[in-house]
Amino acid sequence: MSGPDVRGGASAAVPAGGALAASTAAASAAAPSATPPLEPIRSHRRLQFLDDEQLDRLQDATLRILEEVGVRFPSEAALEILAGHGATVDRASQVVRFPPDLVRRALADAPRYFTMAARDPRFDLHLEEGVSYFTTDGCGVATIDFDTREERPSRKSDVAEMARIADCLPSIGFMWPTVSAQDHGATSQLHEIDAAVNNTVKHFQGMVQGGELARRAIEMATVLAGSREALRERPMLSDLICSIAPLAHDHDGLEAALAFAEAGIPVGLLAMPTLGTTAPATSAGALVVGDAEVISGIVLLQLAFPGAPVFHSIMKAWADPRNGNYVGYALDSRARYAPVEMAHHWGLPSLGACFGTDSPAAGTWQAGVEVALDPLLGGLASPEIVTGMGLARTYTLLYPEAIILDDDVYQRARHALLAEEISDETLALDVIADVGPGGHFLAETHTRTHMRTSLKRGLTHEPAPGGGYRDPGEVARERVAWIRANHHPEPLEPAKAAELTRILAAADREHGPGA
Amino acid sequence: MSATPSLRPIRPARHARFLDDGQLADLRAASLEILEEVGVHCPSKAVRDLYAEHGALVDEAREVVRLPADLVVRAMARAPRGYVMGARDPSFDLVLDGTALYVATDGCGIQVLEPDGSRRPSTATDVATAARLADALPAVGFYWPMLSAQDHPLTAPLHELLASYPNTVKHVQTETVMGARPARYAVEMARVLAGDDATLRARPPLSALICTIAPLAQDDEGMEGALVLAEAGIPVGFMSMATAGSTGPATIPGTVVAGDAEIVAALTLVQLVHPGAPVFHSLMTGMMDPRTGAYLATSREGEIAYVVGVELAHAWGVPTLAGVYGTDARTPGWQAAAEAAVALTLCALAGAETGSGMGLLESCTLFTPEQLVLDADLHERVRCTLAAFDTSREALALDVIRTVGPKGHYLYERHTRDELRRRRFSSLTGQVTPDGIPVEPVDAARAEAARILAEHHPEPLDDARARELARIVAAADREAEAVALGVGVGR
Repeated sequence: MSGPDVRGGASAAVPAGGALAASTAAASAAAPSATPPLEPIRSHRRLQFLDDEQLDRLQDATLRILEEVGVRFPSEAALEILAGHGATVDRASQVVRFPPDLVRRALADAPRYFTMAARDPRFDLHLEEGVSYFTTDGCGVATIDFDTREERPSRKSDVAEMARIADCLPSIGFMWPTVSAQDHGATSQLHEIDAAVNNTVKHFQGMVQGGELARRAIEMATVLAGSREALRERPMLSDLICSIAPLAHDHDGLEAALAFAEAGIPVGLLAMPTLGTTAPATSAGALVVGDAEVISGIVLLQLAFPGAPVFHSIMKAWADPRNGNYVGYALDSRARYAPVEMAHHWGLPSLGACFGTDSPAAGTWQAGVEVALDPLLGGLASPEIVTGMGLARTYTLLYPEAIILDDDVYQRARHALLAEEISDETLALDVIADVGPGGHFLAETHTRTHMRTSLKRGLTHEPAPGGGYRDPGEVARERVAWIRANHHPEPLEPAKAAELTRILAAADREHGPGA
Repeated sequence: MSATPSLRPIRPARHARFLDDGQLADLRAASLEILEEVGVHCPSKAVRDLYAEHGALVDEAREVVRLPADLVVRAMARAPRGYVMGARDPSFDLVLDGTALYVATDGCGIQVLEPDGSRRPSTATDVATAARLADALPAVGFYWPMLSAQDHPLTAPLHELLASYPNTVKHVQTETVMGARPARYAVEMARVLAGDDATLRARPPLSALICTIAPLAQDDEGMEGALVLAEAGIPVGFMSMATAGSTGPATIPGTVVAGDAEIVAALTLVQLVHPGAPVFHSLMTGMMDPRTGAYLATSREGEIAYVVGVELAHAWGVPTLAGVYGTDARTPGWQAAAEAAVALTLCALAGAETGSGMGLLESCTLFTPEQLVLDADLHERVRCTLAAFDTSREALALDVIRTVGPKGHYLYERHTRDELRRRRFSSLTGQVTPDGIPVEPVDAARAEAARILAEHHPEPLDDARARELARIVAAADREAEAVALGVGVGR
């Protein structure tokens, strides 16, 4: 094991370099590992990229779409609620049109900030101005196996592995199911929750769809919280619901959203418009289509359960006109900030979209160049929560080391946005005068004192034994191996773990292959 | 002959400030205090005399010059905030007015990475080849001779210019011309390119970057050359590469002010001697690796220093050459991409006028054509991302949204066909071979570089001027050889 940890980011908890892989055995029996404190991006400089007039234009366009075109709600319960509050409901087409003042009134009830709680309260996310918490990516379907390095379908144990890695990384504020627990079929979404909460003390955001599964998930969250009241106070689970572009919701998504909102579990509405296929081929057009989907869903939840914690998210993609392929990264990364500013303009918290390269592999030039701007732009626009590190191939493929590489990009952005401390001590004018023209600072006490904290070694500057620096991909793989061998967060209380197992068994009986 | 594609500089729709006025005032005050109380080492007697003549305090024994704060402030007030850097083809002139960031190639590499992985020392021919490649890339705003003309050891800087001008119509900035004599030849070359003195001053086709020596020292040849260039109206910039922990204090603000003081001392001299001469400020601080002593250009916390450098330049009222790109990676790949993006984006947001650094690996020493193409792709990403967001009626597309309605699709809409073509995609990612096999972007970049080098031949320099440039460099060669043999006169 290498010496005392002087590194930032991923390495704050991870000794780097050297003989990492060796230390496998001792870990699991010993005392639980401490989860290092979170390092969210706290940008001391915010930048509004779109001006207020542009944001008003986008908002007006959304209101016009909601009033004139409408959004399809394939759920009787939803249609009932919306009709009851004065929306225009066409029962045959299930299309609902919204008077603008209804939209505005409903949104006025949505909280601007709330808490996304964690199993360990020190890791609760109290959403606030100027702070962005990032998550792992999700929800991939394939894994480069941690041991064999062969590609295979993803499974529950991958979620557990990623939860431990996420637990160990200060850059990760909360967790998504990084990949799907495909070995659990219809109840995979519940098994993802189980795998995560047993392996990280951090908040988990699931992707549970359907009323029945949502009720099971709420049961699980209630076990974690202790009671329904405690769950409402400190929800350790939140959920993300996708709409269907253009301008439609999904039945299962709506049923789950309503169930979660009723229980006080934060619900995010996510639109994924694709320019040229499910959305207009202009960015503004795609964003207002996405915004109309998200806002209509949030209006439903606020009408049904005023004050329910909700968040807004639009993740834009492109149809490549050259071959029809789905492209997550064009040259234009304005989708990193524009949807965030739209959410804030509505007075809603935002789930920003960062990371998730189109590169088929981790550690390539493409995997670097596509995501390299993301956390910086995210930090400047300051979404409250942001996805997501660790997947390649357009967020479908888990490479174990990808999260470490993404973390390095994240830490660069985080440091770049920190406030610079300009003081007598940091200006060091006395030292400069002592050294004078043509001298050097190597022997100064000031140098010894500050050098230790000044340089935080990224993945790219791990010294190689023969001089120069090591390959960052290799260093990243080693850190993953170290975390797997050594980081074992505080386990879930056995009684709660057993209770979750019981709920899962019941859900499996009800929905599983034998049901 | 091939047309050189129009430049695509980064024009951010929004600018941002990262330091507040109070912080910038503190930094400036610290630099002034250093200049007045500590001073800079100035080994050239001629330059010390000029400083003394204009009111600086000179300690001849220690060769140290101290500058009273009001002298610095008065001198810096004469420097122009913006000007034009001319190009051989006027449509490639760079107007430094703060609306656009023009990025140059990196420069002065010493090795070429061959496709088979072998390496060889660079020559003047490589400078010419890289110039042709740079000419074809809209992301490259101006050209730093990318490699050292090591086949001309005595007069390499002039041979680098001689190799550059015929191979690009863009502005050329030298970072190797040092000393009064080479500078006079460089001025002659620039005058030939400009045609006359008035054009040389109005649209100088050459600019120069001179390095200072950290901490707080000047190079005699650098300063003497700078004065020759500035007299002719050629923009001159000074760069400090003060390194936190070795040639600067171990704190970023300390290294920033030590480096800034070096730069401002040199800029002050130029303004005292040639008031109003176009100058620029370039703060490229690094951080020492405490384990190896190496200069790290891309440490996580060091990158903010590049933005601080941009804002300090502006606080002094001069344009900047920002530290962007530059990687310690040995091959094109993840690291080179991940390291470059933050500084480029932040410096563009801060309103940097110029920057340099595209295309070299291994801490600015190793050239490979594909790296320049890859860096140009990143430049395009930053350009597109910081461009104004379009919320026009056409972009909002409400009519199309109404037509398609809920649960339709947009594939057959005319708006889709028209607009999708205008969206910009990387020419390097998502490529497949004719038989459907994905192409690795680094390979696509290599192929693109090869295609450009096979096909792109920019507007040549006319014969008369080409001959004249060759004549000037030949004369410089003869003089340099004579000096080397001890038969010439001193500089």
